[in-house]
Amino acid sequence: MTTPQNTSAGKHRAQDTPSVGQGSGNGGVPLVRLVNASKRYGAVIALSDITLEVGAGEVTCVLGDNGAGKSTLIKIIAGLHQPSTGSYEVEGTPVAFNSPREALEHGIATVYQDLAVVPLMPVWRNFFLGNEVRKGLGMNIGFMKKTCKDELLAMGIDLRDVDQAIGTLSGGERQCVAISRAVHFGAKVLILDEPTAALGVKQSGVVLKYIIQARERGLGVIFITHNPHHAYPVGDRFLLLNRGKSLGYFEKSQITRDELTGLMAGGAELEQLSHELESEGGAAADIGHAMEADVEELGIAHQASGTDTAPAVTRQEGTSPR
Amino acid sequence: MTATAEAPVTPPPIRDERMGRKSGLARLLARPEAGAVAGAIVIYVFFFIVAPPFRNASSFSSVLYVTSTYGLMVTPIALLMIGGEFDLSAGVAVTSSALCASLFSYEFTTNAWVGVLVALALSLLIGFLNGWIVVKTGIPSFLVTLGTFFVLQGLNIALTQTITNQVASPDISTLQGFSSARVVFSGSFTIGGVNIRTSVIYWLVFVAIATWILLRTRIGNWIFSAGGSPVSARAVGVPVGRVKIGLFMAVGLMAWFTGMHTLFLFNTIQTSQGVGNEFVYIIAAVVGGCLLTGGYGSAVGAAIGALIFGMVNQGIVYAGWNPDWFQTFVGLLLLGAILLNTFIRRRAEAAA
Amino acid sequence: MFRSKKRAVGIAVMAILALVLAACSSTGGKRAAEAAAAGQTNVAAGHANTPHYTIAMITHAAPGDTFWDIIRAGATAAAAKDNITLKYSSDPDPTKQAQLITDAINSKVSGIAVTDPAPAAICPTVKAARAAGIPVVMFNAGVNNWQQCGGMMFFGQDESIAGVAAGKRLASEGAKNVLCVLQAQGQVQLEARCAGVKQGLGSEGTMSKLYVNGEDNSAMLSSMTAELTRNKSIDAVITLGAPVALVAIQAIATAHSPTKLYTFDTNAAEIAKIKSGAVQWAVDQQPYLQGYESIDSLWLYLTNGNVLGGGLTVLTGPAFIDASNVAQVAAYAARGTR
Repeated sequence: MTTPQNTSAGKHRAQDTPSVGQGSGNGGVPLVRLVNASKRYGAVIALSDITLEVGAGEVTCVLGDNGAGKSTLIKIIAGLHQPSTGSYEVEGTPVAFNSPREALEHGIATVYQDLAVVPLMPVWRNFFLGNEVRKGLGMNIGFMKKTCKDELLAMGIDLRDVDQAIGTLSGGERQCVAISRAVHFGAKVLILDEPTAALGVKQSGVVLKYIIQARERGLGVIFITHNPHHAYPVGDRFLLLNRGKSLGYFEKSQITRDELTGLMAGGAELEQLSHELESEGGAAADIGHAMEADVEELGIAHQASGTDTAPAVTRQEGTSPR
Repeated sequence: MTATAEAPVTPPPIRDERMGRKSGLARLLARPEAGAVAGAIVIYVFFFIVAPPFRNASSFSSVLYVTSTYGLMVTPIALLMIGGEFDLSAGVAVTSSALCASLFSYEFTTNAWVGVLVALALSLLIGFLNGWIVVKTGIPSFLVTLGTFFVLQGLNIALTQTITNQVASPDISTLQGFSSARVVFSGSFTIGGVNIRTSVIYWLVFVAIATWILLRTRIGNWIFSAGGSPVSARAVGVPVGRVKIGLFMAVGLMAWFTGMHTLFLFNTIQTSQGVGNEFVYIIAAVVGGCLLTGGYGSAVGAAIGALIFGMVNQGIVYAGWNPDWFQTFVGLLLLGAILLNTFIRRRAEAAA
Repeated sequence: MFRSKKRAVGIAVMAILALVLAACSSTGGKRAAEAAAAGQTNVAAGHANTPHYTIAMITHAAPGDTFWDIIRAGATAAAAKDNITLKYSSDPDPTKQAQLITDAINSKVSGIAVTDPAPAAICPTVKAARAAGIPVVMFNAGVNNWQQCGGMMFFGQDESIAGVAAGKRLASEGAKNVLCVLQAQGQVQLEARCAGVKQGLGSEGTMSKLYVNGEDNSAMLSSMTAELTRNKSIDAVITLGAPVALVAIQAIATAHSPTKLYTFDTNAAEIAKIKSGAVQWAVDQQPYLQGYESIDSLWLYLTNGNVLGGGLTVLTGPAFIDASNVAQVAAYAARGTR
């Protein structure tokens, strides 16, 4: 099973995409696979030719700055929209979701940046929102409170009182409750939308731990972030987005952390700029040389001398404005 | 790579050292009803002191009756506010329902119960339309129901005038079914020499049902989430639109019940009745702990808010004051209740 | 929630079935009212062949007060006879009523009939109408200064005289502590009635006032019940409108008060109560006559230059309706003309 190599806007590094991580006991069929997916809103092209996949027990990171098209991508995978072109397969079968509920039924759970929790409601009510356990005409409240407490404990949060409003928990804890909720209700694929964006260092570490935890339990995780330092430790695959197009789609073995950071930081543009300045001569050339040294440090230069043909052209295709 | 996964590694538990144990009293004070209970006690003691007739049982029965005429509508309005919406047409909707039953059964000379059923259908329809317009257009319910309010107010007066050439609804006491309907909707009974109207019992039953729905059923969970964060609720699959439409229809249902009570008690309905009551309902709900922004509140608290209203309404007359002070009192009451609610909640959170 | 959709359909079907099957009532309703009216003479006698005029009648009627239906019935009957188009409008708010009068002036009606519960607001517009050449007659309220106000004729009852007569009769029937219930604020004719009752009582008894919201039955019931509970020494309640009297009956029963009930003005339901003894007597100002004469007198002025009254009030009351004469009045009340 190969992934297409030449897209109009980005080159994939590998000829093959071997399945990585544990839990590939489903025979290597990816849980979620987008092939050449695009999304247009009228005249606006939000996404163009995006390919990604994630299998059980794997983490695929989607990186990109604001405006890169990450939220559109999430909406497509979560079932809010359908791609204008391209295919979306779940466990090998093409799907077209009409609502997030349908995606949920296929095991695709999304944890949004604003967390899909209701701040004023208690933790246990949030945990079971939309999936309440019924008993006769009412709810089985005792069971729900106990289950909530147990599930959170399994994820490592010990709450004395699941009756407290979820808004009183810290940001990291709220993320964990949301993740734990998705895991409990049988999610096969977790889409995490910038879970560490608003968190401090310690809290971010906690969330990353739970991502690994979820991966260990055999889920596929699509981890969206703009921070390569968070993505690299946990990711098995990396998709870089910029202005709706793919800047690159790499296996972990094919890219180093610095290279990833460099690409994210727009290192390609830096290199180009440094050449421009050097050609000017004089003071500008000095600055240009300094920049080139920085670029080397970031590791972009190594990419430029890689096996791909005309990588500068590639990067230009990906980054130059229309 | 084996098919069986290893036992998942559990990170060490995070103990939230910032969460201490809340004392029992602090928990009680943090409940949404706390402010209303405190206010009710204060007002009861106040009128007990300044108005001697307030003290005896039959006066209190009268207080409870007035409370129930408000409380029957306050209950669904409180649920609606918890669900994040307003209904400003609730006051005139009661009159519309009563007029519908009266005019229909009079004009077609039917059994009074036929008019009752037609009025039920109309009230549910009005509720459905309110909810449907709010959900489909996304226009704030405050504005949508403000429009409905004016439409109904005008229809009440103009339609009655057109149909009957009169300004009050016709006399239906001679229709068959009137006396049985009167017993059902507007009856009363005597206990220990004190006359109690059945509307009080109905009100208490409806409050109990509403509380059970809110706290013990999944629909209650959905109501809280629809008001607290409809976006989050939709994201996890809660049918927010249908919940809101259902809440508006519940308001319609109680408007019908209250209208039937008024109709069979007084036989004729004044077409301008009900205007201004919609704010009383909202104030009682807010006094009872419901947030204006939705997502938080209590049906019991709102019932206590209605009780505060009843006590003030009757207490002023028992004390011999000028009833015009009622309006001013209501305004001060609202401000005081909100301040008290906020104060108590802050103390409760600090007291942990 | 699809379950409830089915249930909703079920309820609808049941409702329709109920309508079809259970439907008709053998007593009461419109059918009975029409049958009662069928054998009656039509009080609008014939149709004049004088030129067609448009007359505006503007009152301070509050929605829900049946008193004005009777006035309107009289005005309508006269208009039908006199080949007149009647434009009726009303508003209990004096400033709005004044605006309605101005609207009538601007639509160049042939004549205007108005009530004056608030001279400060109403009189300027009456004068403006006269200045525009439109004849104005006044009725029902404003008996004390209608001449300065600009009116040409006045039909009604002197509320002070009526109040005194009522007070005297109350005293003669042994009332010692009278509660006068006013259903609106700031209306001169209501205030005059209560003042007259107090004057008529003289040293025989005391009078206290209670203001209630005449547009809300429930509020009236609770206010009156509370006052009767508070003041156990009240032995007579006098209301100033028939709908108020009907609610007062319930209030008296709820408060277990031994007080007797009296009222000003009548309607069909209240006449029945006088018959049954729940109401002792009513002061009748013959509203049908007020409405009828207002229109008819304008017609006479427009067609023949006649003025009724000689500059003085044309009195239509007071007259007492009590157990001795209620039987005759009842038939007229049933068809809405008394």
